[in-house]
Amino acid sequence: MRALILMLTLISFATSDQYTFLINKYNKEMELEAKIIANIATLATKGEIKLFIPNISKVEKKVYSKIFTLVDKCEKSNFVFVKKNIKIDPKCLNNKRLFFTNNYKKLLNKDIYFGAFFWSKSRPNIVFIKNRLRTKKILLPKSYNKFIEDF
Amino acid sequence: MKKLIIFIFIFFNTLNAQNLDSLLKNYKETSEKSLQTVDENLGHVFVYSQKDIRLMQYTKLSDILKELPLINFNHNRYGIPSLSLAGTKTTVSGFFRFFINDHEISSVHSQSPFLSWGNLPLDFVDYIEVYYGDSSFALGNDTGIYFIRIYTKKAYKENASGLRVSAQKQGTNSQSIVHSQTFENGWSYLTFLKNLDSNKDANYKSEELKNHSKRRYFYLDINNDKTDINIGYADVKKDNFMGLSLDVVPNEGEIKSKDFFIDFTRKFLYDNSLKLSLSLDINTRKYYEENDEGIGLIPVLDLKNMGMTIPKKFKEDLTLKKFHAHLSKTHNYKNNSLLAGINFSKKKYEVNNRKTVNFLNQTTNVGEYHDFDEENIYSLLLQDKLKINEKLSFVANAKFDRYERSGFLDDTSEELYRIGAIFTPFDNFGLKAFYTKTFLPPSFYDVDSARKDKPYLNTQKYNFYTLEGVYTTTNSKYRVKYSNVKINDFIYFFPIGTMNIDHTIKSEGLIFNYEYLFENNDKFEISYYTTKLSEELNNSNKGGYVKYMGKRDKWEYFASLIYKNSYSYLDVDVDASYDLNLGATYYFSDDLSLSIKGINILDKSTESLYKDGFPGDDFAFEDHGKNFNVSMKWVF
Repeated sequence: MRALILMLTLISFATSDQYTFLINKYNKEMELEAKIIANIATLATKGEIKLFIPNISKVEKKVYSKIFTLVDKCEKSNFVFVKKNIKIDPKCLNNKRLFFTNNYKKLLNKDIYFGAFFWSKSRPNIVFIKNRLRTKKILLPKSYNKFIEDF
Repeated sequence: MKKLIIFIFIFFNTLNAQNLDSLLKNYKETSEKSLQTVDENLGHVFVYSQKDIRLMQYTKLSDILKELPLINFNHNRYGIPSLSLAGTKTTVSGFFRFFINDHEISSVHSQSPFLSWGNLPLDFVDYIEVYYGDSSFALGNDTGIYFIRIYTKKAYKENASGLRVSAQKQGTNSQSIVHSQTFENGWSYLTFLKNLDSNKDANYKSEELKNHSKRRYFYLDINNDKTDINIGYADVKKDNFMGLSLDVVPNEGEIKSKDFFIDFTRKFLYDNSLKLSLSLDINTRKYYEENDEGIGLIPVLDLKNMGMTIPKKFKEDLTLKKFHAHLSKTHNYKNNSLLAGINFSKKKYEVNNRKTVNFLNQTTNVGEYHDFDEENIYSLLLQDKLKINEKLSFVANAKFDRYERSGFLDDTSEELYRIGAIFTPFDNFGLKAFYTKTFLPPSFYDVDSARKDKPYLNTQKYNFYTLEGVYTTTNSKYRVKYSNVKINDFIYFFPIGTMNIDHTIKSEGLIFNYEYLFENNDKFEISYYTTKLSEELNNSNKGGYVKYMGKRDKWEYFASLIYKNSYSYLDVDVDASYDLNLGATYYFSDDLSLSIKGINILDKSTESLYKDGFPGDDFAFEDHGKNFNVSMKWVF
């Protein structure tokens, strides 16, 4: 499964640039977002990734389910991607699962998140927080050091 | 063996990080293609993406409008941009509808957005979609033929501040700042401020035509995933250029306009299928003109008593208000996507003061030209998108409008119908067709300017069908679009006032467009269009452009040549226009850049036809001269 996810993320570079008509809603940006999350989740978790996205939309469900096993309850997950402003169920907050967000301010203010994928200065960014990686025993390859910030 | 395992481990680790870097790069490039809101069912769409806007150095809306196919971009007597259908020239028109996000910015009075928003800076604009086709049902607004949808940058994708200063010749300069932030609770805001001091003075018969303007813009967009609040403000103070002066050059004249709007949109339910929009627009407009040779103010001129009625001074103070409410619900049932909506608009046209002074120095309080000063529109919208399979889909729309008008204009009921089909038998080949039966009601401006003996104007009726074919290869895209339009009761501006044309006007248009994407993502594009019109031409009816844009290391560059053909009207011959633009941007760092752009380098601009005298002789006058722009941008 992990190898399959890695392959899928590599295939994304070989897509055609021109299109005729956009019959379906253009979701390529979300597909790439899902692949970026897949890349991170693959390295951060052990075993099969069970992804939970609180208040997931129909489109997100359609796109993310192509590469993830989506679960409908936080308790069933081992990786949680928080995209919206929600209150996380306290039962869900434990070391069994990892929390990732798309909001940099949320990352700075809430210890539960070990990283974030967000836009800054019109550019997409990924930040992991060093001591939270250590606490959660996440070992990222050295080549990821440029994404790690020490607070 | 151990060494091999370590090597594989290092290799995959490196690959992963490269993979993530490439994904981020790809993600940014995909985002900059700006295709997320394209709706093929709304018409034939041309997208000006974030990347196009940046590479081509489109700094204001008119930079894009001047190259659009089937359209002529000129100026009117007030030195304000005007858009007309190919082959024609209009002062203002309702064919074109402009939206910032979901809010229509066209004037309540004239249906033209150009006085306030014509020089709309694009610093805070993410991308622009141009739809050839009536999409009024999608947003519940007034009808039109072309829809230009301007999407502002989203704060969550910016999270930065940006400062841009720029200068052109004749002292034209501008300063703008964009600031955006996302909060922990998911709310975000983007705000924009711009000051533009523009000097486009010109000469006519050795006399100076003043065209100096000061513009200030403010924009605020506050949103979260369900709510979007847009607040816009444009403050313009400018010379009136030719104004309505009978000898073309007024002694003095000024236009002041303040345009404010607030738009609130909220989506409800789990799938955001219920949408509510409320908006309010307030525009105050003041006009002053003084001319010793007289002012051709049609509504006050009495052809039997010209000596007493020609003003030498004219002063006007107007307030224009619009309230708009829209509620719509979408519902998916099997292969159908249904939309039903209701809409209400209230437009109010208040004359606070309107005075003329004639050659005997008698002052007349003119007040309202007509008693048509208020309009309520009630609309019902229905739409069904039927997707037979991935290759074939249909769309059908109906819109029923009830116009309740004050004064002498009758209340009317109007209907809009449209059917369309999109067929893509192969991944690289597609066909699209629409048939539309729509209408354009007279605006306050049309009625103000109506012929004195026939002030009653009927609604213009449009019947048109369009066909489009697209063929793509990995790098190339070919597009051909044909349109056939028939208009009854067309409202035309004659020297003695506006009136409905008593016969059917027919027009055909053909656009050919070719685009090539290079491996390094540079882009080449060529476009040509030609039209046939059943009436006498008074503007270019053929045109096109060639453009190239790209990026290499720290450089971004572009070149474009926009062509409009020559034409003759009565005894005036107008040369073809070749508007050559070249530009480059150098990045000192990711956050600091310097741009240089040459505009109309060959000094072969389009020209507009005007009248000198009353009813007057026609003459052609260039729309814009040669210019150079230098700008610096800093993001922090």
